[in-house]
Amino acid sequence: MKVGQLQAQPGEHVFGYLKTAASRSGLSPDIPVHLFAGAQPGPTMLVQGAIHGGEIIGSIAILNFIQKLDPKTIRGNVIAVPVVNRIGFELGERGSRLDGKDISRLFPGKKNGSVSDQAAYIYFEEVIRQSNVMVDFHAGARTAYERYVLFSAEADPANLTDLEKMRRKLVVAFGLDQAAFFPPGTFGNNAAKEAIDGAGVAQITLEFGGGTGWFKNGADNVRDAERGIWNIMKSMRMVDGDFESDGPLCTVYNAGVVIWKPDVDGLFVRLKAFRDELAPGDVYGQLLDPYTGEVMAEMKTPKAGIVIPSGQEWPTVGATSIGILGTIDRVEDRRTTDLYVF
Amino acid sequence: MKIGTIEAQPGTKAYGAFKSGETHGRFDVHIPLHLIVGATPGPTLVVQAGASGLEIEPSLILPQVAAELDPAAITGTVIIIPLMNTSGFEFEQITSIWDDKHLNQLGRGNASGTVSEQLIDQYYRTVIAQADALLDIRTGSQWSYHRYASVYAAGAAEQSQSLALALGLPQVVLEQPADHSIAYEAARDGKAVVTAFIGGGPGLRDFREEDLGRIKNAVLNAMRHLKMLAGAPAYETASVQVLTAHTVLKPQGERGLTFIHTSKRGLHLQAGEEVGYVRHPFTGEVVQRITAPREGVMVHAGASWPLPPEDEVLAILGDLKTVVTVP
Repeated sequence: MKVGQLQAQPGEHVFGYLKTAASRSGLSPDIPVHLFAGAQPGPTMLVQGAIHGGEIIGSIAILNFIQKLDPKTIRGNVIAVPVVNRIGFELGERGSRLDGKDISRLFPGKKNGSVSDQAAYIYFEEVIRQSNVMVDFHAGARTAYERYVLFSAEADPANLTDLEKMRRKLVVAFGLDQAAFFPPGTFGNNAAKEAIDGAGVAQITLEFGGGTGWFKNGADNVRDAERGIWNIMKSMRMVDGDFESDGPLCTVYNAGVVIWKPDVDGLFVRLKAFRDELAPGDVYGQLLDPYTGEVMAEMKTPKAGIVIPSGQEWPTVGATSIGILGTIDRVEDRRTTDLYVF
Repeated sequence: MKIGTIEAQPGTKAYGAFKSGETHGRFDVHIPLHLIVGATPGPTLVVQAGASGLEIEPSLILPQVAAELDPAAITGTVIIIPLMNTSGFEFEQITSIWDDKHLNQLGRGNASGTVSEQLIDQYYRTVIAQADALLDIRTGSQWSYHRYASVYAAGAAEQSQSLALALGLPQVVLEQPADHSIAYEAARDGKAVVTAFIGGGPGLRDFREEDLGRIKNAVLNAMRHLKMLAGAPAYETASVQVLTAHTVLKPQGERGLTFIHTSKRGLHLQAGEEVGYVRHPFTGEVVQRITAPREGVMVHAGASWPLPPEDEVLAILGDLKTVVTVP
């Protein structure tokens, strides 16, 4: 297999940097890539972390995963990218300060665009396009905490495309007890995801862990994230073995209620926890005056919903979603679901 | 009692902003504070927090403490500053946005310095100078998580140590090295001074309420210890470890994903025992083992998030001097 200038023969593991572009000072955010060319033919799995530079739980899980992965024993190929966005990783930031862009939103990229545009183009052409399945790890960075599988809304759930059917299986196979999709338009258009779909790549996104829960839960998050990567390989029949999971059930939420920061600002205090059920008008969180403690605003849910395992916890918030609620779309049972995609 | 334009008579309280000046864009340079003057005279305790704009959890509880304190029921005066660095808080950074100065690294300030140096100068002369005791509450910002109290060897060290023991935290670290903080200057001036390190972002999800309770308890315990409030201090543990720190580990050598064995906090480590390790962020290889240079007890302090900033304290080791059984 070949990615850019990197090449691995069957049974080999190769590590190197995928060349991208150079900034005005000559800084090149070349992307660290591990190629594991299986001894036997099969599909290709891409697992990537830190495309948002501060979201690193998946990166650690990927490092643990690759230390155990033996290319001589697998069917197909693995492309493992622990950190896609090196500039953001360096600075603990979501995007790249080289051009202020969020690489995850740029696919399929531009051959002649800014540094991030070019990096996205090369990464899309060299890495994403030759993958069958893409496992994309996100997290709560230092200010939030999450734990669910996110996937794109389906155009017509009654008539799923082959790609959508495959993705449904991957969502369940990963092994978490909760998953969610956002109805179209919830966060605006995402042309990047459409480009990945258009390339025939089945993508799932992990919203997994985060800084505010790291002290107590960090090691568990990393363990379960790595478990999920192995599960996806089993689902793709790249390795053998039983699936391991949180439990037999996976609750899938239609996550269409987003709570945003109000016009006033202050100290954010989250009042609701994962799985809490809210009625319209219930208060999700408050903004307090940082000096007097006075309640400046209450963030109420406009619709009924269940708090999905996502959301802001650090007391200062930017122009971002603070919490997400959903209704249960379905509950998948791993005991009766075919989890194999190939 | 009057601090700037904030004034409270005995048995009353007031809230306002202690202003030192304005920036060239005419924004106020100030410190919001609560002034609570007891009905009967007694000591003055200053409780300050948020000198870093990213150490903001105390401001979730200190305003509530100020609101709940009944000036008629206390002896002496309490001055509470929930969040000192208002501009750092606004722009989510450690230092002041006005001049990039860290408010707690300016000593006692400078009357003819930058706007932050002027602020600290006036704050020190107006607020700290009239205090008998100072409780400086710090947190772990977004990278670290702490639960201990620390005192300097300077000034009234015995009174500071007694105050630290009374706060109710599980560990007290003696002989904190001299630095450029407000607290160190206050200690040099002979005041009872404790820096309480409580909480931090990596524990926010799971320990927020617990840590806010610790902060509140520390303030009330300090007041009880100083006989400003009736009652005895309340402790969360049956005993308090008292240590002298001999090793402060910071990032050195290799950089990468840094993992500290936080589960060893409170335990006695042998010389050479692993405290943590650094992994290459792209290959996963362990590129450095962080070990204890000498035996000691690991303080409940330091980094937790795997990408700590340069110069962040990773871990503190100390000699256990005594274990104090609390009443």
